Amino acid sequence: MIYKIIEKWALEDLFEGLRANYDEVVGPQPSKGHGGPALVFDKLTNFNDLRLDYDTTILPPKKYFLNPDERILRFNRSTGDVFDTEPVQISRAIFGMHPCDINALLLLDQIFLGDYVDPYYQAARKSTFIIGTSCMPSPGHICNAFGSDEVHRGFDLFLTDLGDRYFLSCATVPAAELVDKYLDAREPVAADISDFQARTRQFKAAFKYLPQMDQLPLLYGAKYEDEDLWNQIGDDCLSCGACSMVCPVCHCFDVRDKLDANGETGLRHRVWDSCNFSEFAEVAHDYNFRPTHTSRVRYRFFHKFVGNFTRNGKMLCVGCSRCNRACKVGITPARVIRALQEDANANVGAETPDSADTVSAKKDCA
Amino acid sequence: MTAAHTAKAYRKLGANPYRPWPARITSITQLTATEKLFELRLIDEHVREEFSFTAGQFVELSIFGIGEAPISISSAPSKQGFIELCIRQTGTVTNAIHRMRCGDVVGIRGPFGRGFPFEEMENHDVLLVAGGLGIAPLKSLINHVHDERHAFGKVTILLGARNPAELLFRQEFDMWKHRQDFDLMMTVDQPDDSWDGEVGLVTRLFDRVDIDPDNTYGAICGPPVMYPFVVEEMRKKHLDVDRIYVSVERRMKCGIGMCGHCAVGHQYTCIEGPVFSYWEAINLREAI
Repeated sequence: MIYKIIEKWALEDLFEGLRANYDEVVGPQPSKGHGGPALVFDKLTNFNDLRLDYDTTILPPKKYFLNPDERILRFNRSTGDVFDTEPVQISRAIFGMHPCDINALLLLDQIFLGDYVDPYYQAARKSTFIIGTSCMPSPGHICNAFGSDEVHRGFDLFLTDLGDRYFLSCATVPAAELVDKYLDAREPVAADISDFQARTRQFKAAFKYLPQMDQLPLLYGAKYEDEDLWNQIGDDCLSCGACSMVCPVCHCFDVRDKLDANGETGLRHRVWDSCNFSEFAEVAHDYNFRPTHTSRVRYRFFHKFVGNFTRNGKMLCVGCSRCNRACKVGITPARVIRALQEDANANVGAETPDSADTVSAKKDCA
Repeated sequence: MTAAHTAKAYRKLGANPYRPWPARITSITQLTATEKLFELRLIDEHVREEFSFTAGQFVELSIFGIGEAPISISSAPSKQGFIELCIRQTGTVTNAIHRMRCGDVVGIRGPFGRGFPFEEMENHDVLLVAGGLGIAPLKSLINHVHDERHAFGKVTILLGARNPAELLFRQEFDMWKHRQDFDLMMTVDQPDDSWDGEVGLVTRLFDRVDIDPDNTYGAICGPPVMYPFVVEEMRKKHLDVDRIYVSVERRMKCGIGMCGHCAVGHQYTCIEGPVFSYWEAINLREAI
């Protein structure tokens, strides 16, 4: 890693450098369609559209790595001929990814670049230049609970905002070359590092809420059958799947064939899916392993907090808060964690006669 | 054979793991009113050479224009060059292949998942139990044991079906009844005039089962409701739960651990399954 300092006004030079080297530069900007305050990742043609001090976007940059509708195969029905579709080879720079979204990509890497390699994801990953940017927590952001408020790899270049200048971390050769060619960057001095530390302290102190994560996977397992708990959380779920669509790590997909008008040739598509949809776990004879919306909500968070944690050592949530905004009925990771941590007996003081009875009763059971 | 093995074969063939290999239907046998046995041959010679599997693994069957469905392989690994799929007519893909004829071309991806631990089972006695269509995945193991008979000790096979007409591979198994090297028992719930064998659930047959629990592996395939009852019978015979293997049914869409549809507990049926030890299965949420 090479560290550099640039003045804030030099950012436009960086943007022009990216424009010269990549087919497309995308970044957070006001949504053209919505018109409202919502920000989206979209193609940048004008530097002034870029909003680097944003809190979040509607969709995460996941859409650039996992196309919502990817064509994975061309086929001919009668001959049985099959042709791979070539991954789209567009070079793209993403300007302004938050640490949570970069951490989300690292989680997706575990899934799509394992024993089996997804060629479309891999191609997008290879042809994308990532510029991360520091942020300040907004209400609802719980990245601190998942350790995704910091990121140390998975980007080419990272910008930490020091007020009048940026602290640059160059992680790759293309990043170093870009900085070299387009920016008048200087080496950091003690005052820069001191400001960086002050900024980090200010960032950490800005989190008003830290979910209690103690023993979460174990608690989830132990309370999995607690019907009251899951009914309280999942009963309102509309099975709309919005939470999965806006989640930077939700990656489940469905595979569908579509025939051309000639009835002979066609394409196989891979489309975004959600485990909250009713038919997600359905098998032959319409047997459904998760027939109720409550069971699907319980499973979705199980996969995030326990399933992937047990399998790959990481929870599939980066605390970005997009699902908080997308959910119409207030089902959020923080709420699920709170419910799991809730202790029915916690308010029973140790010295009261009642609690003594409870303790002895428990001993008898054991 | 594991995910790493199949992934390596795909890399060697220079193919992306979503690509099905064209396979020709070489034989179709009507087994019951709703089930047919399809014999398939992968058309490409290189693909055929790389395609090796263990009993209990599955393939993704493609009917182009309709879609894909996970189907377990019924033939033995020792039957080279061909694979057999026992398919019930139930969904869009399976209905489509039921309308196809010999010579037609389908797509095959795989093999996927983890099969039965045959290396661990070898040199031991085996107790194999199937109910209904559960025979489809178990048939591969039965065929394997049959082909490598010398490598196994005592072999006990228990088969159950709703009625004689739904008893899969009945003709074949009727012949096996006369063999000395297999202890084969069949039962049906609803007998008809053609049936002179046992009547009742497959668990009934356990009265006549005699096993050495320290030297036996069990394997069970059938509808989910069957597992706890059969396992209970095996437990009564003092078989350890980590020596009993079950095959789990899920909606595997990709077969390569990405699409999320087949997750059970913290594992993926298409990677760590579909065969799990019973101990693993009861520790996976909603598996059984």
